[in-house]
Amino acid sequence: MSPIITPEWVLKVDGLGKVFGPFTDESIAKTGSDRGTSKDSTTGSIVAAWDVSFEVAAGEALGVVGESGSGKSTVMRCIAGDQSTSVGSVHLRNIDGGNTNILHMSASTRRQLRIDQIAVVYQDPAEGLDLRVTAGGNIAAPLTAAGLRNFGAIRHRASELLSRTEVPLNRMDDVVRSFSGGMRQRVQLAKALANRPPIVLLDEPTTGLDASVAAGVLDLIRGLLEEFGLAAVVVSHDFSVIEMLTTRCIVMNHGRVVESALTDQLLEDPHHPYSQKLVSAARS
Amino acid sequence: MTKKLDPTMVLDVRKLYKEFVLHTVDGRTVEALNGISLTVSAGEHVALAGTSGAGKSSLLKSIYRTYKPSSGEVWFQLLDGTFVDLVGLTDAELATLRGTQIGYVSQFLRAAPRRSTFDIVAKSGMQRGMDISTAREAAAIALKKLNLDEALWDVSASVLSGGEKQRINLAAGTISPPRLLLLDEPVSALDPSNREAALELIDTLTHQGVAVLAVFHDIEAMERLATRVIVLQHGVVSYEGSPQQTLAKLAGVAR
Repeated sequence: MSPIITPEWVLKVDGLGKVFGPFTDESIAKTGSDRGTSKDSTTGSIVAAWDVSFEVAAGEALGVVGESGSGKSTVMRCIAGDQSTSVGSVHLRNIDGGNTNILHMSASTRRQLRIDQIAVVYQDPAEGLDLRVTAGGNIAAPLTAAGLRNFGAIRHRASELLSRTEVPLNRMDDVVRSFSGGMRQRVQLAKALANRPPIVLLDEPTTGLDASVAAGVLDLIRGLLEEFGLAAVVVSHDFSVIEMLTTRCIVMNHGRVVESALTDQLLEDPHHPYSQKLVSAARS
Repeated sequence: MTKKLDPTMVLDVRKLYKEFVLHTVDGRTVEALNGISLTVSAGEHVALAGTSGAGKSSLLKSIYRTYKPSSGEVWFQLLDGTFVDLVGLTDAELATLRGTQIGYVSQFLRAAPRRSTFDIVAKSGMQRGMDISTAREAAAIALKKLNLDEALWDVSASVLSGGEKQRINLAAGTISPPRLLLLDEPVSALDPSNREAALELIDTLTHQGVAVLAVFHDIEAMERLATRVIVLQHGVVSYEGSPQQTLAKLAGVAR
């Protein structure tokens, strides 16, 4: 037993793996960072993620960094339930005290988790929102799914959330398609927080936004993580995002975790050759 | 992983090595620390001296684990008296200690951009377990002590001068005194009067029992604050003694 009491995990991922196509032990051995590929040349299967493990506590943000194609979004989608998982386990403290592997739950039960346990903010707002629906309507969806029926109460909660994420309330009844990119991300954040989930997964939340808009969204995210004490997983290839939001990180390359470190240590003293390449490219 | 050591020690560094392997440059290696051993007790201010490149900053970063040591041990005494080797802790354990018992103040402000001065300092207090009103009070006291103009308190720290940022940094790093304080040129950009206020603050912490391990570029600051001086050369301890002895010796070399 360590004499240092660290906060208990709320999300625990253990040995997670996702393979597109049939796979054998050989597929695993032939792929990964050391092999420089995630594709098994014999079967054509893609080992998108393999042996990914980490824990995140309340009020803590873990970064997942790597180039596109490294498997970071796959990991996020496996946790969120957007994608089936090949192997491994995901546990949530709130579900059966953390004793149940949620990957073994039925599809409908897993969808329930997305209502008030795990929220996801996607890079593309079209994935997290219905662009044909108003901002208020988008936020009402998770609220009604959670059992809120009173129209006035829903409106009230939606306006609360929108003002917290700095969306002008006079835009509440406009369809999201008419919103700018930065504003759409703010609506996504409002929707994600609707039922106060303990866990939020952020996939490149500011990528594709203008620098000034991205800065505003990033400030907002940082404020929300602190205010709600969320356990967050931040997937990004942008080290400035990672540096600002996270205290610990994992680095992925060809579907494998090649390094895990404190964020400042990763930036100043990266160990794995791939991490060094990544950091020096970002910092020069 | 825990150990009983001399209970007066807060920090006991043993044969610490740090070697960088540069995979992007043909796997070349660079040695920063070559087996450093030293101790710091509660209420002691140990100043690190030596030419640039001697390993002073590398040592502080290796203790704080911004650098991951290659080998050696860094024993740290927790509040309950048990010792832990910082080198062997998990990242999560270290993050917890950093938030509460170990402080690190460098010459550069490391804070999220677009955050107000006052907020940075108060948040640091809350991270160390203060409630919001105590933290706000303590932040105001700390900033006043360092003579930071109140008109700047609600200004985003990124637009401030180097000297102002250093004072914010010091205020945030000392708001709730850690057990071990690592200082890396914390007053390098301050003018004489503000520098005096900052040195005063550091001196007070030492007297309150904080163990301080510090790097200052000027001998005056070391003379004023240090209870012991350790001279580093090529990543090892070359000399150690009282400030008077050591600094006289250093001055002799300089002459």
